[in-house]
Amino acid sequence: MASHTYGKTLLKIDNVSLEYDGRPILKNVSAEIKDVIRPGCTTGQVVGFLGPSGIGKTQLFRIVAGLNPPTSGRVTINGVDRPVQAGQVGVVAQDYPLFEHRTVLSNLLLAAGQKENDSKVAHDKVMQYLTEFELSDKARLYPVQLSGGQRQRCAIIQQILCSDHFLLMDEPFSGLDLLMLERTCALIQKVANMDELNTIIVVTHDITAAASVADHLWLMGRDHDLNGNCLPGSHIVETYDLIERDLCWEPNIITQPRFMEFVREVKDRFRGL
Amino acid sequence: MNDAIHLFAPNKVVSRNTVRWLVTFQLLMLVAIWVFSPTVFLPKPGEVFQSLHDLWFEGLGSELITSFYLNLQAIALSAILSLLLAYATVIPFFRPIVALLSKLRFLSMVGLTFFFTLMATSGHELKLFLLVFSVAVFFVTGMAEVVAAIPKESFDLARTLRMGEWRVVYEVVVLGQADKAFEVLRQNAAMGWMMLTMVEGISRSEGGVGAMLLNQNKHFHLSAVFAIQLTILVLGLGQDYAIGLLRKICCPYAELTLERK
Ligand SMILES: Nc1ncnc2c1ncn2[C@@H]1O[C@H](COP(=O)(O)OP(=O)(O)OP(=O)(O)O)[C@@H](O)[C@H]1O
Ligand SMILES: [Mg+2]
Repeated sequence: MASHTYGKTLLKIDNVSLEYDGRPILKNVSAEIKDVIRPGCTTGQVVGFLGPSGIGKTQLFRIVAGLNPPTSGRVTINGVDRPVQAGQVGVVAQDYPLFEHRTVLSNLLLAAGQKENDSKVAHDKVMQYLTEFELSDKARLYPVQLSGGQRQRCAIIQQILCSDHFLLMDEPFSGLDLLMLERTCALIQKVANMDELNTIIVVTHDITAAASVADHLWLMGRDHDLNGNCLPGSHIVETYDLIERDLCWEPNIITQPRFMEFVREVKDRFRGL
Repeated sequence: MNDAIHLFAPNKVVSRNTVRWLVTFQLLMLVAIWVFSPTVFLPKPGEVFQSLHDLWFEGLGSELITSFYLNLQAIALSAILSLLLAYATVIPFFRPIVALLSKLRFLSMVGLTFFFTLMATSGHELKLFLLVFSVAVFFVTGMAEVVAAIPKESFDLARTLRMGEWRVVYEVVVLGQADKAFEVLRQNAAMGWMMLTMVEGISRSEGGVGAMLLNQNKHFHLSAVFAIQLTILVLGLGQDYAIGLLRKICCPYAELTLERK
């Protein structure tokens, strides 16, 4: 098992509940993301929230993003005693929204300018990201002229430029072919490991893809009554520490038997929800 | 040959050249129908162009300039007014006010003219007020609908980029909907010409093509009426084209996703 220690708490979901018209959607969801420290290398964090369709993943996503307030409980970041505000956490929604009336470059400059006052520095930063993510020759195009993958990368860069190390992604793996799936996983890990404090939170129902990138996974589910009926209000039913199980930071981990064994375990738990 | 078949199939994209042929052909057909129409009252092209010639020497040109200037002023004013009002609907306080204004579409000018006359200090101003009012009620309705139809995701994107709510409004509502604003402007600028005749009929002191049209119509000079209508049509087409061009230049992204460009 790779040697590692934990640093400070980066993001804390503290007893979050959500109701719509008195109907509970989320019930006391709690999770804590800590800085993972490995001597000798820059290690960002990747965590995943898993759960079946309609369980409330997107609702939790919006709360963590600071876009919707929870009914009770709160989300804090970096130990600051204040609920998270929209903008502190980068958000990559499922359809990769961009400003359609701006070019790729203009979209990115706008985001960089929100955090960096010196326009020269902002411009250089944008150029660096464009090169790194193979979008340099697309800078003058409008979002509708990009391919799906290019659009995804552009939306990711836009959010990293503006947020404080946090990036939330809603269903980043849905509708991708095998090659794109692998590239997206690689992209997530690349972005995460750009900075020690970078933290990527993935909300998905793709267990294999989530397990291949994450260091922690939370499984969301509902309770059942004695007759096996679902009770309203979902919460965390299982926490998986993939570092503990030695499933992190290893290239080609998905080909290892112990990884497949783990995925099977999660899938079985998933079916029982 | 293939193109000729495509002209009659749904959703086919045809080449520019084919479109040119198609339009020329259809125009010729229209002229032919006009020339050979058995309707007695319909003035023939020759008569219309003779009238146009005569009217030109009676000062049609300067009347056109008068009307064009009035219309331009009215369009500019109602555009500014309507855009501001439509953008203001992001603030709840202004929503009922704008909703009420847009319901005034149903009213006719009769009676209202009296109050506008009291407010105006000159014939020109009266005409301007009337035009601005009648265009703005339609303009503000169209634009307020555009603003109301902006999806939540667009606002959320701006918020996740640390924009304050005022900045969100500027980015998403003003800049983000600029292409649609041009389209609404284009539709409503055409309305100006339609109202022009009526408005210039109410206050004839300055003249203008509208007054000229009404005079000719009173004396049943149908060929002259047709001649004036034709000039207005040409001017209107020019205006439509100019706004379209402006939109193309300012918002090049607007047409990228269209099948027919
Ligand atoms: N505006 C709303 N009003 C009432 N209920 C809502 C509203 N939005 C979502 N819900 C409910 O919240 C629950 C969770 O929805 P959510 O979109 O978070 O599911 P999800 O886990 O993201 O599912 P999927 O994987 O299918 O995207 C659903 O049962 C849904 O009906
Ligand atoms: Mg969802």
